[in-house]
Amino acid sequence: MTSTAEPEVGRARLRKEDARLITGRTRWTDNMVLPGMLHMALLRSPMAHARITKIDTTAAREMPGVIAVVTGQDLAEEQGSLPCAWPITEDMKAPDAPAMAVEQVNFAGEAVAAVIARSKAEADDALESIDIDYDELPVVLDMAAAIADGADLVHENLGTNRCATWVYDSAEAGSGGAIDDAIAGAEVVVERTYRQQRLIPAFMEPRSMLVDPTGDQITMWSATQIPHILRWMTAAVTGVPESKIRVIAPDVGGGFGGKLQVTPEEIITFLMAKRLGKPVKYTESRSESLASAHHGRDQIQKLTLAADRDGTLRGLKVELLADMGAYLRLVSPGVPILGAFMFNAIYKMDAYKFVCTNVFTNKTPTDAYRGAGRPEATFGIERMMDELAAELSMDPMELRRKNWITHDEFPFTTVAGLTYDSGDYESATDKAMETFGYDALRAEQQERRDRNDAIQLGIGISTYTEMCGLAPSRVLGALRYAAGGWEHAAIRMLPTGKVELVTGTSPHGQGHETAWSQIVADQLGVPFEDVEVLHGDTQSSVRGMDSYGSRSLAVGGTAIVLAAQRVLAKARKVAAHMMECAEDDVDFTPGTFSVKGTDRGVALADVVVHAHVAHDLPDGVEATLDSDATFDPENFSFPHGTHLCAAEVDTETGRVRLRSYVCVDDVGKAVNPMIVEGQVHGGIAQGVAQALFEEAVHDESGTLTTGTLADYLVPSAADLPSFDTSRTETPATTNPLGVKGVGEAGTIASTPAVVNAIVDALRHRGVNDVEMPCTPMRVWSAIQAGGAR
Amino acid sequence: MEFHKPRTWPEALAIKAEHPDATPIAGGTDVMVELNFDVHRPDVLIDLTEIAELREWFTVDGRYRVGSGVPYARIIDELGATLPGLAMASRTVGSPQIRNRGTVGGNLGAASPAGDAHPPLLAAGAEIEVASVRGTRLIPADEFYTGVKRNAMEPDELIAAFHISPADGPQQFAKIGTRNAMVIAVCSFGLALHPSTRTVGTGVGSAAPTPRRAADAEAFIAGELDWDSPLPLRDSVKRRFGELVAQSASPIDDVRGTAGYRQHALSVMARRTLGWAWDEYRRNR
Repeated sequence: MTSTAEPEVGRARLRKEDARLITGRTRWTDNMVLPGMLHMALLRSPMAHARITKIDTTAAREMPGVIAVVTGQDLAEEQGSLPCAWPITEDMKAPDAPAMAVEQVNFAGEAVAAVIARSKAEADDALESIDIDYDELPVVLDMAAAIADGADLVHENLGTNRCATWVYDSAEAGSGGAIDDAIAGAEVVVERTYRQQRLIPAFMEPRSMLVDPTGDQITMWSATQIPHILRWMTAAVTGVPESKIRVIAPDVGGGFGGKLQVTPEEIITFLMAKRLGKPVKYTESRSESLASAHHGRDQIQKLTLAADRDGTLRGLKVELLADMGAYLRLVSPGVPILGAFMFNAIYKMDAYKFVCTNVFTNKTPTDAYRGAGRPEATFGIERMMDELAAELSMDPMELRRKNWITHDEFPFTTVAGLTYDSGDYESATDKAMETFGYDALRAEQQERRDRNDAIQLGIGISTYTEMCGLAPSRVLGALRYAAGGWEHAAIRMLPTGKVELVTGTSPHGQGHETAWSQIVADQLGVPFEDVEVLHGDTQSSVRGMDSYGSRSLAVGGTAIVLAAQRVLAKARKVAAHMMECAEDDVDFTPGTFSVKGTDRGVALADVVVHAHVAHDLPDGVEATLDSDATFDPENFSFPHGTHLCAAEVDTETGRVRLRSYVCVDDVGKAVNPMIVEGQVHGGIAQGVAQALFEEAVHDESGTLTTGTLADYLVPSAADLPSFDTSRTETPATTNPLGVKGVGEAGTIASTPAVVNAIVDALRHRGVNDVEMPCTPMRVWSAIQAGGAR
Repeated sequence: MEFHKPRTWPEALAIKAEHPDATPIAGGTDVMVELNFDVHRPDVLIDLTEIAELREWFTVDGRYRVGSGVPYARIIDELGATLPGLAMASRTVGSPQIRNRGTVGGNLGAASPAGDAHPPLLAAGAEIEVASVRGTRLIPADEFYTGVKRNAMEPDELIAAFHISPADGPQQFAKIGTRNAMVIAVCSFGLALHPSTRTVGTGVGSAAPTPRRAADAEAFIAGELDWDSPLPLRDSVKRRFGELVAQSASPIDDVRGTAGYRQHALSVMARRTLGWAWDEYRRNR
């Protein structure tokens, strides 16, 4: 009668979706072929800023296989403007954002014409026959120059390159004192300027979409993270009723925020399929992807940290310039704002002020990229803590200990106004320090310094936190975000005993099918294997807010628990009726209902059938046990952890070798520890890549010079040490699973850990910063400059 | 585009004679990239992959004759013990997939200053065997590279093989780049000690219009090394060697690095590889 099975939650199960994902024998969008399907190719502007003076498509129309050639002018009536869902201030400047440029191009890679042909090759070939004349305009690339008086303008009609300025001031908000007082009264003030280089999400599966207008409904398959938002926004942009649009995100090969977008390509493909009445497919090339899919980061951070001589923090001032690129995409202006609440991190201080100015340039638009705002913030504060420690001649970990929120102070309302529900920075740090061998490495560092070894050793610390579980809808509303932050789940109890879980989250590699199955299995007492997770199709998953911001588990997972509770509440009524007892006398152990104090029982599977056939249901109970629920979190969740990196720096060549990397993350309860570990590994790799390898570089004409994966250097296994990852589990108090989210933690934590290690290795040589990515040449140049100081 | 797939070497040479502008293709790791990015649109392609003898290697009079179509992966596996310098360089080429397809012949044909195979070929004193319908000739590696992506071949010639002696002493290869795997070198350096002739061979990559030897450095160090009773090298000797190697280069500033950094990095790599190789020589005596 009672189940003795090991709980599913907490088991390191192999992922049930992996076989099909790894072999590729699955429904990737580009794998799909429909009868009569046409192919689209896009002509993209080679100019970063120019007026289109002439487009002649006559020759292209006559090319073999070509069905249609369209320009922005042809689509002008129906393409609308791509949505920006986050007008961060009332007076934010937002340019028109046509899917296809009409009169002017504003970044290199912007679509200017489309060819639809019978084959992809014919479409590609015909692009070359399109004749375009451009009248070049001055190119705006540098943010500081862009907002100076008399600057050339990206969008003449806006009259400025300044998009918006957003301020958080603890004195005004009532969450702390005035920053100027804190700085004036502090014994030590450290000022630094850091550059968050421009990055490219570089997801593995290129963006791909297929639109089928056959019938009354238009169906769009897209390699997207956000099928539900895409459906809503496609309706808003094109005027086609949302009820006539079905969006399907089949299996999707990565996103990292890069597919949290309503793309020009999706809108153009949609409009062309609708216009031609035939299915149209578009799949981008890698180079198109690198040049035109949205980029990430790209901030200049001016930071002022004030403290007393004993290390007590007084206040932090953050002044940011954030590069929007040429247009505002879905959440572009809000990305830096997500960092506004995180620069103060895990530390207590009296005052805090954050001022961010978003700037337009003639570059690819920026938007969410893994961590979105929080990696920038964590980098800023964790680098500053090391700088302050150096200024005070204090051990950087001691400085952190002195200032962080202690485990007995939770819940704690920070100087940025958020309430952290839980955390235990001491335990995570103690565990990490012990594994890392901190003291022995410090001794070796000293020894290498003493003998002036060519290879110097540095230790980098990052004690991070982040806000996950996006997001309480009321908070989003207060931040002027256009949508809510809830999530939805529906459970269908099939009469054969199988269970369908329909989730509003939209996995693109995270392993939701496995983790969600584990949650359902525990909640209902059904076998893991019997749970089928359905997602990504707006026709089956009717409501959802999709996957980004490490929200899926904390928000979507909780919706599953709530839906399961409703299934059981209903099942209990039916079971009581079947066992002819009062509902209050029914006990539930996973999988079975019983009458308290008796051996009478009925299996959940039998209750399911009973409810489904509905031959004999109690009064007022509807047929089937199917239930759904929507969860809107009360608060964010706050994962945290301690990352420690030991880096060897070759002072003669500037080359950095990561010797060891230890992290202890606290992501709350781990539903599947193996998936958690995988997320941490991938996250660290991506964060290390920002520190050491990756940068989207534009030349003076605004052309992306890192437009291939031979130039844009994503990390490989050969470049990374073996990571020593472990966890502490401090359950979140704001959701029934106690979970916090793990999708971005590694990326947020690792970048400052690596750069801190490099600077630490060279501090005695007069180096206090190396600009990212810390290539051998940059490190060597910093050593040369440091020595001369 | 005309596409030829000759089955025999004479047939390939005949096609090349008829189409001197034709681009030969073997592994395709260079040529296909250029075609895909539309950098280059040859009128005629000659696919050499059907010609079995290009994928063979054997010894002639104590030297290896390695067919131009032998991929890097096989050089590492089959010739790693006797051609250690070339094998070290081969291990740094691209990724496993690239090493399975890419060939030294392709590196020679492209003659990019960044080609990984060039420094060890220069250091080992390899010769390139080129052929045409007119006959066959051997070109010493240090006469083969004539300019940026140019070599000493006549338009009707194809690369048949390279000839290289098995190592008679320690060899080293060093390369610096931003990433370990799949990266184009900022600069690279190959070194071979030749105890049998009491000379040292060098090869500098990515730091001049062509891969080149550092002749002054070779001459200097030959005079400094005591091959019979080898003592540890003085730092000043290693440094001087490094300086002379750096001076032999004429690098430029580009997206991957400044000229100043390249010269500096070369001097470090030259000094270190000399130290490692000499220590190995002393240990193994």
